[in-house]
Order: sequence, then C-alpha cells, then structure tokens
Amino acid sequence: MNELREKAKDLLQSGTVKVIIGYTGTSDPYRTKPFIARTAEDADKLVFNNYCVNNLAVYLTRKEYKQNGIVGIVAKGCDVKAIIQLIQENQINKDDIYIIGINCNAQVQELGKEFGSETIATKCLNCFVRTPRLQHTLIGTINELPKREDVHLEKLKKLESMTSEERWEFWEKEFERCVKCYACRQVCPLCFCDRCIADKSIPQWIESSAHKRGNFSWNIIRAFHLSGRCIGCNECERACPSDIPLSLLNRKMGMFARKEFDYAAGMSLDAPTLVGSYNTNDRQDFIK
Amino acid sequence: MDEKLINAENLSLLVSDLLNEKHLVICQDEKAVGWKSINDAGKLVINNAGVPSNISYKEFILPKTEPIFFFKNEKENFNLVEKDPADQKMIFIGAKPCDARSIEIMSKVFNWDYKDKFFNKRAENSIVIGVACSYQDEFCFCTSVGLSPVTEKGSDIFLIPLNEENYALRIVTDKGKEFIKSYEKYFSDGNTGASKAVLEKINIPAKKFDTLKVKEWITNNFENKLFDEAGSICIGCGQCAFACPVCHCFDIIDEECSYTCGRRMKNWDACQFGQFTLHSSGHNPRNNQSKRYRQRIAHKFKYYHDKFEEILCTGCGRCSRGCPVGIDIAKVAEEINLSANQA
Amino acid sequence: MCSTNIYKPELMEIKDIIDETADTKTFRLQFKDNEAAKNFKFRAGQFGEYSVFGEGESTFCIASSPTRSQFIECSFKQVGKVTSSLRKLSIGDTIGFRGPYGNYFPVEEMKGKNVLFIAGGIGLAPVRCIIWNVLDLRTEFKDITIVYGARSFSDLVYKRELKEWKERKDIKTVVTVDPGGEVPDWDGEIGFVPSIVEKTAPGSENTIAIICGPPIMIKFTIPVLQKLGFKDENIITTLENRMKCGVGKCGRCNVGNVYVCKDGPVFSYAQIKELPQEY
Repeated sequence: MNELREKAKDLLQSGTVKVIIGYTGTSDPYRTKPFIARTAEDADKLVFNNYCVNNLAVYLTRKEYKQNGIVGIVAKGCDVKAIIQLIQENQINKDDIYIIGINCNAQVQELGKEFGSETIATKCLNCFVRTPRLQHTLIGTINELPKREDVHLEKLKKLESMTSEERWEFWEKEFERCVKCYACRQVCPLCFCDRCIADKSIPQWIESSAHKRGNFSWNIIRAFHLSGRCIGCNECERACPSDIPLSLLNRKMGMFARKEFDYAAGMSLDAPTLVGSYNTNDRQDFIK
Repeated sequence: MDEKLINAENLSLLVSDLLNEKHLVICQDEKAVGWKSINDAGKLVINNAGVPSNISYKEFILPKTEPIFFFKNEKENFNLVEKDPADQKMIFIGAKPCDARSIEIMSKVFNWDYKDKFFNKRAENSIVIGVACSYQDEFCFCTSVGLSPVTEKGSDIFLIPLNEENYALRIVTDKGKEFIKSYEKYFSDGNTGASKAVLEKINIPAKKFDTLKVKEWITNNFENKLFDEAGSICIGCGQCAFACPVCHCFDIIDEECSYTCGRRMKNWDACQFGQFTLHSSGHNPRNNQSKRYRQRIAHKFKYYHDKFEEILCTGCGRCSRGCPVGIDIAKVAEEINLSANQA
Repeated sequence: MCSTNIYKPELMEIKDIIDETADTKTFRLQFKDNEAAKNFKFRAGQFGEYSVFGEGESTFCIASSPTRSQFIECSFKQVGKVTSSLRKLSIGDTIGFRGPYGNYFPVEEMKGKNVLFIAGGIGLAPVRCIIWNVLDLRTEFKDITIVYGARSFSDLVYKRELKEWKERKDIKTVVTVDPGGEVPDWDGEIGFVPSIVEKTAPGSENTIAIICGPPIMIKFTIPVLQKLGFKDENIITTLENRMKCGVGKCGRCNVGNVYVCKDGPVFSYAQIKELPQEY
C-alpha cells in the first residue's frame, strides 16, 4: 500500500499527472470505492487490496479528463484490458494516461464479504493478466490464489446443452427482472457512447419500457454491441440489482470471438479491433 | 390496541386462504433480490432478520412500466381506451418498517392536486403486513429519518416475531381491522407483555444525522462543492432510484402495438440519468453528475419535505448497498450535518 | 376517489395551420367533444401537453387568448421527435391535448396600469395570449406598448398580427430585426431588442412589463428595464423546462423546490432571482 501511496504522491506533486483515479477504503474493511486523488493528501487515502472490484477505466472516457492533463489510473489486469481496448478503439490516447499497474491477487465476487476461497471472484480463478499487459509503473507482487470451481463455466455448459427454445425461455425469464436502470451500461468501460442507442428517440430503436419486449431488446442489443469488445470484468453483473447473470452472455460472446475469429479483446494495443476490421480470410460458413 | 397471536402454521393456512380467494400475496423472494407474488403458502418468506431485498416492492404499486391508455387510429379518428389496474387485493407480507411506509409517503405527491388513479387504485387495494425488523448493517439509517425497526406506522397489520413459530400481531389501521375480520379463526388472543419484551430486545440504532439540519443546509448551500465528491464517481445509473421504495419520478412515452394502434406508457425514470432534464434545444440545466446528485439529495431531504412534510427516504439503505461505486447516502447526509454544525 | 385519468388527453381537430417561419407553425385547434369544449376554461399564460399519438407529447403554452373561446392555438418550433411529427400533420388531423396547466399572467393586477410587452423570436407565442387578452379588454388597461424582435424578417412570427397591432391607434407597436436581418422595404426598427427597448424608453411608472424570449435576450433586457425604473416584482417572465406529466408528479421540471409546471411557468423577476441556478 505504501508503495502505491508514495508513487501516487510523487506523480501528483511532480505534476506528471493531474489526477489519479484509484480506490479508497470505507468504514467496512471488506469494501472500497472509487476515489479521485488530486493532492498529495488525497494520495494517502489510496488503497489496493482484494476489495478493489471497480473497473476504473470507466472514468477515462469522461469529458472532464479529455485534454485536461495526464490522468493517472490505478489499474489491475482486467482494467488494463479495458484500457487497451479503448486505445484500440481510439477513445483514449495512450499518451494521455499514466497507468499505475498492480500485480493483482484477485478480488472478491461480492463486496462486504471477507476474501477467501469461497468468496474469490469467478473471473479471477483463471486470470492470465495478473500482471497488467500495459503500465507505466508496476506495484506489488504476485501471490498464489485460493482455488474454487468455476461456477460460471458450469452454468455456461448447461446453457450450451439446451435447445435454442430452452435458452430463449431461460433468458426471457432472467430479463423479466430487468428494471432498465442501465447500471450494466454505466459501469462498463466499453459502453462509452455519448448517446447510447437505447437513448435515441428518432427513431426509438430500443424501447425504454421495462416490459418483456423492452428488456429483451435492450439486453440482447447490449450483448451484441459488446461482442468482441467485452474484456470480462463482470462489473455489469455485479452492478445489476436484479441479479441477472450477464457475465454468462458476455463470456459466451467472448468465447465465440476467440474461437471463430481468433480475437480476444484488450490484449494487443496494435491489433485491429474485431468488429472494426475486415479480414478476407474470415470464415463465413456459420452465417446461415 | 388489539393484540393477537398467530403461529407459523396458521399463518400458512391464512396465506393459502388468501391465494384461494384469488388475492395476490406478495413477499420477498428467497434470494432477497426483489419481491414477488407467490402461488403457494410454502413459498412465504418473512425476512425480519435479513438484509432488505435489493429492490423494494414499489413495482406493485407503481409498476416499472404501465400503459396509461391505448390509442387506435380508426377512420381518421383516435379511439382512446384505458385499462384500469386490476381490482385485486395485494397483500404484502413481511414489510420492514422502512418498506411499509413507502405507500403513504408516495401517496402525497400522487394526490396533492390532480389524483393519479393508477397509483390510488393500487394503494387502495394494498394491505401491508409489516414486521418488526431485527436486522441492521452499516447502510441502514431508518432512525435518522423518523422511523425505527419497530415503527408500526405504514403497516395495516404489524407482526412481531416472538420466536421461531409464533408472531404477535397488532392491528394498526382500520383497513387492517377490516381485513383481519375474515380470518379470525387463525388468531388467538395475545398479550402485550410477550411482544413488549421482544421489542425491547431489538436494537434501535442511533441517529446518524438530523434531517432538519440537513434540509436547512441544503436551502442555504445550493452551490456547495460537497456534491462534487459524489458527482466525481457517480456513474449516472438508476440503481438508487429504482431500488428505492419511495423514488417515484417517471417518464411518459408512446409505444407501438401495431401499425395503427399503440399505447402511452408511464415508466420509471431517474434524476441521475443524463437525459432526465435535457431540453430538445440541447440545453441541460443539470449538465453534470454533481448537479444531478445534488438534485437527488435536495429532492429527498428538502423539496419533498417543503411540500408534503415528509422526508422522501425511509432509511432502508438499498441505494447505498447496491451502488456500484459505493456512494452512501447516509454518509453524504452525515457530511452535510457536520458541515451544518461547523457553520 | 377520483376516477379520471389525468394522463389521458382530450382529442382536438386541427382547424387551421399557419406557417409562421421556416421551422415554426401555428395550429388552431378545436375540441372534438362538445362537452369538453364547453367546459374548457383557461387563463393567459397556462400551457398544455399536446400529443401526436404514437410519437409522444410536447409542452407548449396556449398561444390564444381566453377571451376567444371557440378554439385554442399553439405555436411550435421543430426541435425534436414530437414537433417534427406535428409538422407533418394536416388540417383535419387529430391530436391530443391535456391542460390547462400551470399558473397564469396576473391580468387582474395589470388592470388600470400600463403594460409593456417585450418578446423575442418564438417568445412572442406565450406573450401573444396575454396581448390579445389585454387588447380584447382594452379599456381596462392604460397605455400598451409592444416591443418585438427577431433575428431576421423571416424569423418574425405572427406577421399578420404585427401588422394589425401596428395599424391600431390605441397601442404602440415597435417591431425590430437584428442588424442584417431586414428586407428591402423594411419600415420597422433595426437593432437588438434590449437596445430598442432602451430607445423606446417606455415609462416604468405604474407599468407592468411582460418579457419572453431567448435567455440571452432576457439577460440583456432586464438591466435596461431596471435602469428605466422597473421594479423586479413588476417584471414578469416565463420559464420553460423539460416536462412530461405537467401536473407536478414526474419530478422533472423543478428548479430548486419550485415546479415550473405548477408554480410556473409565469414568474416575476423578483421570484426568479430567488431561484437556484438550475434552469
């Protein structure tokens, strides 16, 4: 922790960065929240532990950070994947940010519970970006992680074994609980559109009402718009108040992108994006 | 006040009766995500000792989406057809005091001049069976907004769990009295001694802030930078508004049903959304998240109280528990109180 | 318990359409239901929610005077989804109307006094209703002055009525366009509204000023009025905000704890000064 704070203080005091987006503790030892550090005093409030679940890259596309000095960001591996994908998509400039990379030792699935083998986040179980793939400085050391079954993979396998009618029914039931709070969209770093398609009214592409039809169209369109772009931080699922298993959808689309197009989001700065590029060698046989 | 006793078995039978009579029986779902209507007495959940559900039961009184009328284009004329809410009683069982008060509080704005018949019909058809709450976490603050874990106001009938099998039952309103009449056989006479003992054991948390001080501070500190901290991390979703038992802001939009007919819908909306106050001209009086967060606090702790003498908050803590970025409304209010004290 | 559906509009037939400018139209509307027509009463300054079924509702003031009860009129500029759809409608088409909502101009307090009307661009629409209200009861008011301006000749609305007002001997009408906005045979003033108000120098003694227009026009005209001696409580204006329900429930149009749909849209400048900067 001290290493992080010292580094942050140094960056702010030297003027290398204008602000540092990081995490700070709360009165609950098993919870942190996002925090914008602007002064050396603020830097002392920065923390990093197993409760830093937020993907802070979501703040990088905010207007107030554009062309307003270099923005520092405390980022773990999954967050950096989002940053890489954002750079690939020309949403942020590599030179406008300073990544304080963290060697991450996993996060909790749910805030408020003590970190351990029962509570380790599913996404962390098979993480291959423990050391972020891009950073300007690196803090911390890699330790061994507690092990647990990948419950999402079980659920995915179950879904894959269903007929498409059964799957439709499954998702219809899940989306019924959606309240259209758009927490999934707002917490996602890759949902950065100035005016989301769901908010466009001429024409109203996606109904805003939270009925079956409106919920289905919103959630499916969002899954499509994230295909090949989602880096799997699962923040959407964590933010959802209705407990909709969004990570299953996004993970499946990610698996599809890897299998069919050999593309994984947020891995390579110089690679063209999946949906933003055309390769004549792309398979087409699955298009029916 | 009449006090009766009911045991778990009889409560189950009562619920079965209600279901047979085609009433809606609504309780929290097993996973504490929301509330749902049950079709089997065995599914009854009375969550007096657990965390409040992520989302309140507000959607049964104020649906997340509902048609206010249908329109059909018939030969150069429009035929407007209304669909009133179903004439079906809704019995909410196991409402903590922070949930039970929601209908009363929302009722003020839906009736202060023009009366919203959709809300009123559903409110009229509701019977709230509250329960004394023995849960408390760092996000709860019912005592700061004039409630407590044992407040009976807001419930029609109030349950006090005496032990695993038995509840004391208090009739709070005439509506509750009327309702109970048909199910007398399930109750035995109670005595206030036993329930009093249980109530006394329930911890009443200390107040975290003084709402009047908060209201006064907001009145005099509209431009204060205090809201910038929340504004800097708030991501502008609607979780807080939609989970809340008393947030009621709504949107009115038209939808198609087919080529010649459609419906006008009243949908949940949230002041935290960027588009909420956006004018067609592009001008937005609340053009950043700090201003939008200020609106949330000011509406709840000042404007609603100015107009209706009710705080638009029951201290359930759902907004804070569910906030993806950990903004805690009680902490913001505490900070305001502190600021007010230092002035 | 009231069983009326407060969100359900009355059906109106479009009786006449006037193209005011390239993007502004005026609709003359009549209730399709005679009972509704008979029972409808409103006061100058109030607004309504006008529907295009299938597109939505839009908020406009009722631009006609309550002294002329056979119809109501509204004027609107094409800015978005509903207004674009309204533009496509023809005479004989049906739209919806909910209203009247909001408060109104203090006509009673204005009686026996001089009245100064100032408007800019489409801001003449909310003022037009009170102008006609006052003119239809001419003898109850003293001197009446109208100062109206727009960016150019083609942006002036209610041109036919401006002509009528100019020809009347019992009111003083000054019409202006911004420099560069005049046409070859323009016989009105050339200059921004604030400077034309200063030039016209209406007396402030026993006078109520009603002013509506773009925020920038209001911003620069109010100091002129104050210099002329107008007290803030005698300067009346209107506020607009995004609205949906129009009846103080949807929680959208408030400026501080004031709901524009209920405590407004008509406010005195003295009241506006007390409002937080949120409009």
